[in-house]
Amino acid sequence: MTMDTERLIERMAATVEPVRPLARPWIRTAAWLLVAIPYVALVVFVVSPRADLISKALEWRYVIEQLAALATAITAATAAFATVIPGYDRKFLFLPALPLAIWLGSLGDGCVEDWIHLGPDGLSLQPDWSCFPAIVVVGAVPAIAMAVMLRRDAPLTPHVTSALGGLAAAGLGNFGLRLFHSQDVSLMVLVWQVGAVCMLAVMAALAGRYLLNWRSIVTATGRSALLHRL
Amino acid sequence: MQAAQAGDAQAYVRLLKEITPRLRQIVRRQRFFVSAEDIEDLVQDILFSLHAVRASYDPRRPFMPWLMAITRNRLVDGARRYSRRAAHEVQVENMPVTFSDEGSNIDSDGYRDPEALRRAIEDLSPAQRAAIEMLKLREMSLKEAAAARGTSIGALKVSVHRAMATLRRALIKES
Repeated sequence: MTMDTERLIERMAATVEPVRPLARPWIRTAAWLLVAIPYVALVVFVVSPRADLISKALEWRYVIEQLAALATAITAATAAFATVIPGYDRKFLFLPALPLAIWLGSLGDGCVEDWIHLGPDGLSLQPDWSCFPAIVVVGAVPAIAMAVMLRRDAPLTPHVTSALGGLAAAGLGNFGLRLFHSQDVSLMVLVWQVGAVCMLAVMAALAGRYLLNWRSIVTATGRSALLHRL
Repeated sequence: MQAAQAGDAQAYVRLLKEITPRLRQIVRRQRFFVSAEDIEDLVQDILFSLHAVRASYDPRRPFMPWLMAITRNRLVDGARRYSRRAAHEVQVENMPVTFSDEGSNIDSDGYRDPEALRRAIEDLSPAQRAAIEMLKLREMSLKEAAAARGTSIGALKVSVHRAMATLRRALIKES
């Protein structure tokens, strides 16, 4: 062992402080939801829920899509928290696949039904630019909470972790949006809302290396101070 | 590791001393083309990373897969850094002169005397020498160096600026 490494080890041990082992991904997801859900509820309350919310809650398609969006957000958050544990089981990465498939499948089925009942008019696409900023606003606090929870963990796959975190926050944002935004045409929801969710997840993935990297974590734990004392 | 998570320094030293030779062996096997100094840097990087994310170890699971995941990740990261650095370096036998005029090449030739440079650094004031060592030799960031010195970034910038001016004057005088 070279002298420097040996001294580094002694220095690290001398400054070691007790740490609480990270909770399991499911438990961390529950903690994240404890922050995120009240905020989403507050935004829905402030903007005021859609007038037909009670009748919509009895429509199976609306319920399935909302549950699938919520499940996508929850499973994506769990997967994000799993990816920062060294040696994690890669099966976690596929957790959001099923609810996402149900969500997209239900919307796709809605598009087909609209086309069967209304013909080409059922698939007409109108601009709905409000969806993107609305999802950003509803998903802002969940996204910040997610970033705060992930920033001190092991950035093993920063782009993947960040994309999953973005998908979780934006999925929850879309869940909240549909509680106050009266837009249920499947194609419109698919393009403007799910499109915005996907775009936000891609943007989060691109920012992954800036948000989560070893350099900032190691610096935060006092690398420079340890090196300086060698 | 479980004891180290609880803050047991002795257990932490034992663990780190036990795994370091293994880490060095793994790094040497996978990065056989890099110098011994770079291997030691990579080993230290892995140790720093382990230290930084020690909370992510789950005591209910085996330790080695956790350690190996960090090691693999840091080695890939190190390779990326190495290739990026190599892509920006040009190996040349002789540096071409910038201008044919003799005067334009005197200064750069003068700076290539490592012994003179070492003496000039030794003659600096303690604050200026520390600034040069941390920012120019160890390539620490301003933020890291300021934290290590317990000073402000502004004061550090002034020290390194003055140190560079002093070194320039000393080396020109010597040449």
